[in-house]
Amino acid sequence: MAEQLQALGRKTTAGGAPLTATRESLWKDALRRLVRNRAAVVGGTIIVILILAAVFAPFIAPYTYDGQILKDQNTVPQWILNLFPVMKNYAKINNNYLLGADYVGRDLFSRIVYGARVSLTVAFIGPIISLIIGVIYGSISGFFGGRVDNIMMRIVDVLYGFPTLLFIILLLAFFRGTLARPEPGTFSYSISQLDAQMGGMLFIFIGIGLTAWETMARLTRGQVLSVREKEFIEAARTIGASNLRIMFRHILPNIIGPLVVAETLAIPGYISTEAFLSFIGLGVNPPTPSWGAMISDGAQVIRTYPNQTIFPALALAITMFAFNFLGDGLRDALDPRLRGTQ
Amino acid sequence: MRKLYLAISLLVLASMVLAACQPQAVEVVKTVVVEKEGETVVITATPEAAPAEEAGPKTLRLNLGPGDVPTIDPALATDTSSTQINILTMVGLTRQDEVTTETKPGMAKEWTISEDGLTYTFKLRDDVTWVKYDGTQVVQVTDCEGNPRKVTANDFKYGILRTLAPATASDYAYVLAFALKGAADYNAGKTEDPETVGVKVIDDYTLELTFNEPAAYNAQIAGMWVAYAQPSWLIDGDDCTEARGDRWTETGFFQGYGPYTLKEWVHDSYITLIKNPFWPGTEDIPQAKIDEVTFTMLDEVPAFAEYEAGNMDATGVPLADIDRVKADPTLSAELEIAPVQCTYYYGFNTKAPVVDDVRVRLALSKAIDRQGLIDNVLKGGQEPAQWFSRPGLAGAPTIDKFPDLGVKYDPEGAKALLDEYLKEKNLTADQLDLTLMFNTSSGHQKIAEAIQQMWKDNLGVNVKLVNQEWKVYLKTIKGKDTPQIWRLGWCQDYPDANNFIREVFSLGGSGNPDEDPKDGVPDGGINLLDEAFEAKVREAARELDPAKRVQLYAEAEDMLVVKNAAIAPIYWYTRVTVTKPYVQRTFSVLGGQEAIYKWDIKK
Amino acid sequence: MGRYIARRLIYLFVVLFVVSVITFGLMHAVPGGPFDREKKLPKEIMENLNKRYHLDEPLVMQYGRYMYDVMIPHFSIKAPTSSLLDDHLFNVKVGPIWIKWMNFGPSYSSRSRTVNDIFRDQLPISMQLGLMALFVALVIGLPLGILAALKQNTIFDYLGMSVAIFGVSVPVIVLGPILIYIFGVSLKLLPPTGWGAKPPYVLGFLPAKLDWNFWKYAIMPPIALGLGSSAIIARLTRASLLQVIREDYIRTARAKGLQERLVITRHALKNSLIPVVTILGPMFAALVTGTFVTELTFGIPGMGKYFVTSITNRDYPVIMGTILLYVVFLVIANLVVDILYAYLDPRIRYD
Repeated sequence: MAEQLQALGRKTTAGGAPLTATRESLWKDALRRLVRNRAAVVGGTIIVILILAAVFAPFIAPYTYDGQILKDQNTVPQWILNLFPVMKNYAKINNNYLLGADYVGRDLFSRIVYGARVSLTVAFIGPIISLIIGVIYGSISGFFGGRVDNIMMRIVDVLYGFPTLLFIILLLAFFRGTLARPEPGTFSYSISQLDAQMGGMLFIFIGIGLTAWETMARLTRGQVLSVREKEFIEAARTIGASNLRIMFRHILPNIIGPLVVAETLAIPGYISTEAFLSFIGLGVNPPTPSWGAMISDGAQVIRTYPNQTIFPALALAITMFAFNFLGDGLRDALDPRLRGTQ
Repeated sequence: MRKLYLAISLLVLASMVLAACQPQAVEVVKTVVVEKEGETVVITATPEAAPAEEAGPKTLRLNLGPGDVPTIDPALATDTSSTQINILTMVGLTRQDEVTTETKPGMAKEWTISEDGLTYTFKLRDDVTWVKYDGTQVVQVTDCEGNPRKVTANDFKYGILRTLAPATASDYAYVLAFALKGAADYNAGKTEDPETVGVKVIDDYTLELTFNEPAAYNAQIAGMWVAYAQPSWLIDGDDCTEARGDRWTETGFFQGYGPYTLKEWVHDSYITLIKNPFWPGTEDIPQAKIDEVTFTMLDEVPAFAEYEAGNMDATGVPLADIDRVKADPTLSAELEIAPVQCTYYYGFNTKAPVVDDVRVRLALSKAIDRQGLIDNVLKGGQEPAQWFSRPGLAGAPTIDKFPDLGVKYDPEGAKALLDEYLKEKNLTADQLDLTLMFNTSSGHQKIAEAIQQMWKDNLGVNVKLVNQEWKVYLKTIKGKDTPQIWRLGWCQDYPDANNFIREVFSLGGSGNPDEDPKDGVPDGGINLLDEAFEAKVREAARELDPAKRVQLYAEAEDMLVVKNAAIAPIYWYTRVTVTKPYVQRTFSVLGGQEAIYKWDIKK
Repeated sequence: MGRYIARRLIYLFVVLFVVSVITFGLMHAVPGGPFDREKKLPKEIMENLNKRYHLDEPLVMQYGRYMYDVMIPHFSIKAPTSSLLDDHLFNVKVGPIWIKWMNFGPSYSSRSRTVNDIFRDQLPISMQLGLMALFVALVIGLPLGILAALKQNTIFDYLGMSVAIFGVSVPVIVLGPILIYIFGVSLKLLPPTGWGAKPPYVLGFLPAKLDWNFWKYAIMPPIALGLGSSAIIARLTRASLLQVIREDYIRTARAKGLQERLVITRHALKNSLIPVVTILGPMFAALVTGTFVTELTFGIPGMGKYFVTSITNRDYPVIMGTILLYVVFLVIANLVVDILYAYLDPRIRYD
């Protein structure tokens, strides 16, 4: 009991401080602390470089992503041969390609650079959709509780009940099947044209978007549930803070850390969803490259031409590291209790 | 604490619900009884462990491909995995030789054909009994008096009628329905009288079949799995046998009479067959030399890993690994490339824009470097296809007799044809809007990508690639939305050119579908209406002189792939396999139906 | 609490209803039917097939028939037959009456099996694999996350998190073949593919014998499958624990002189598990109902491939069966998660 009282006492003072602090300082503070975190800066830099590489792919890649030179198929440069001596028995040497050429003689390096477009788009669109919908939905549900919570969560349960991948597979089969060759001028025609322009990514986004936000909503709700009963919220309420204010000034900053971390953790999930869809043949349209598709294609030759898997996988891993470090940095930076420390 | 208790009790409840999903003893009835045996190990053949002198039983481990074998009920089988088990556990009246494709005696010792060529009288072997695996060994099945049950003409009649019965809903019943007299009406439910079907039991070992047409393939159809003998007492039950209905093919129930019988079927995992010592052994179907054959159900890549680990005796080579396999001294010696009776082709929708001009179609076809595709992408030693009917089929032209028939890689000729078209239409090559569609699969994708590049290099046209999931694709290429260029493969049902060029591309065939036969206009596929071609393939089917027949088919092929250029044949299939050196085997050309009773293991 | 659980269970049926309607509608809207082949079947054959599987009836009636067979217990004096159309998960005899319940229908592509057969034979294998993978994920993930949080910004933290990120960025399609090659093909220590358990199972899902013949198959796949999940758990644990140990009640506990070990184990750990538990619900459901790539790579006869092949084959009863099964697992797992919330954080109330 004494412990509780003590905690309550401390909370009011600690929780009271932000009420009087200036509004901008929260985000300014966060940015300042983020910049000070070396790992996060490295991660952020890598992501910026990757984005630039994706945007300026035509200037970086020495070849196009779809240009085939059949006679160069499955060739490897000398340095890779030195790295994997087992390939010496059968691999043809060709130093024109930095990382080697694939099964129809396309430059692997160029395809990895172009592949960043698909994978990064998936990596950004997925979280953005799920964060926006999920956090708003989840916090409303958790904050108001009771009947609202119950109804909203049951709706999520229903949507959540669909196995994500299965739902995406069904949706893709449905979209691509019914919109195969529609009449020009109709809505479905414009949709399928848009999808074709995006190399088949549109339906993947729709699939991921329709299924990804529910996790975030549940997580947000769980967090809000635990925070909303905290003493400093009660304190804010006693001094007459509005619901909206409590939500955005007191609850969200307190829960955003785990949410951002969860989202950076979900990014590999989105990318591997794309990879899985490629694996079962429902990914982006060939010859549009994506890391996922390259890895699953390459995995078939992993023993014969390991370079065809390892480099796209490496690109993926580096991206993951970057997102994770940045996510960690963001979490630390956004944690209000760390304010003024360090 | 109460809450924790509740949580735990809920978990317990959940596990009870799950446990209840499994039929339990006493008040819950088990629908499947699985023989419980001592060992639970997957049978493996480890060559190193085997002793020098043959002591233990000879075992063989092969792979059937991913997914459970759909069925081993001969009435329901449609795919190669199912029929592989069927041909080993049962024998038809006749049997097609797996190498020469000749029709040989099976359960029938001999048969006579009536003068009109419609009625076949089969004399059955009288020394074959039904057998089953009883958990420890293969035993003969006995009737209610305790005598061994012989395979009789009645069992064949029962089998044919069961396949045809509408309630069985057999896919391949259509083969019997079109061939056997009265079978179509019985199958369609127009009559329920089995005596209207042209199958008659003369005595226990004499069966008479009456066909609709005096066709050469009648004896082959009589030997197909849909016409195998089936055990009526096991399926419908009798005085001393419990009816197993649809479940009669499960472990512990199954009865057969072929050179092998079912020992164990662990669904989705493996099927083990065990030698049937009671099979008398004939000239064409000898007694098995290998005691047990285990078929695993693995994807090609893990199956090849098992082979390399020494746990698999023969398997397909993943094409991605072929460079390494060819360079490996051991594996390359075990490699074998065998022909398969299939053709891979691209079809043109001859009514679609751009490809409605024959010059464009022929240009596209001639611009495909088939040998380059085989050498660089396919790598399985396939043969470049110049026409559709694969050489080796009865009636099909062969390369050595018709070296210049059909299409060959000719970039200059292709360019000239296309330029002529472009000039006439006042267009440039990159203005042509062309789409190639294929069903989703990395193999088809690689081929499409390579050919797309060839068209770009040789003709300057940019062809868009679109893929669709298989079932959607099938609908698309058989309807009004058929894309300009599409792909399909064709494998034989029976080894005759008629099964290829006529059954696929004449009006109403699967590559030239006619949904509404009344209007006489094709609805998709190659969309081809060519009376001369139709007349030619009809004439070829009726021709009896083999040499003339080949000439007629050659002319028909020329019409299909050059004059109409309705398809671009790409390659004739092969099968790339590795087999351990101690396995003596044959290579079946019948799409994976291996005659394992002819194989042996010599260590 | 009891009423809460009861309400959630009733709600399960609502979820099942909605999901089943959407799935049923969607799968019939996708072009192509179960018996469409390269070689088109004659009309009469299609009619026989459609009749056997009631595909000739209006969709509403098909749906009604399906739900009636699955949901409503059937009472009959007839004993269960060996017909594939009459295969119920529960067959109980009370006096002269047979109570038969849950007929998920026959498979269209495996002509000799029913969806219930797949549940009986394949689901237990997926559950064995999934539970072991979950175990691997927790055993690796939790300690890694706790260690990283407690030693924040030290070498332990960076190393632990690097391992975790590595785990999540190497997909099973890559890791699987590498493991198979090293331990199966090169060293020949473990069988490259397969699974060491087959029906009948103890308690419906446990292997009959837990000896080396089982374990030798059950080493590589759970590791390959569990590694990705362990990374997620490790990072969530670390993030959450870092947040919790800055809470005031932890400071209080420290201030009153409690040992650091007790502070962590008694106060911090329990509270930091909330986000981890949240993720465990869907993770459990996804892992135990089967995983396509892992099962394909290691040749494991589990449920995973049916989620994909049933759709490509248009095997309607299997699509419905697998989805409904997943929903049941998911809803129950989430219910358990909600209950665990209340245990972990007594301030969360359910009323």
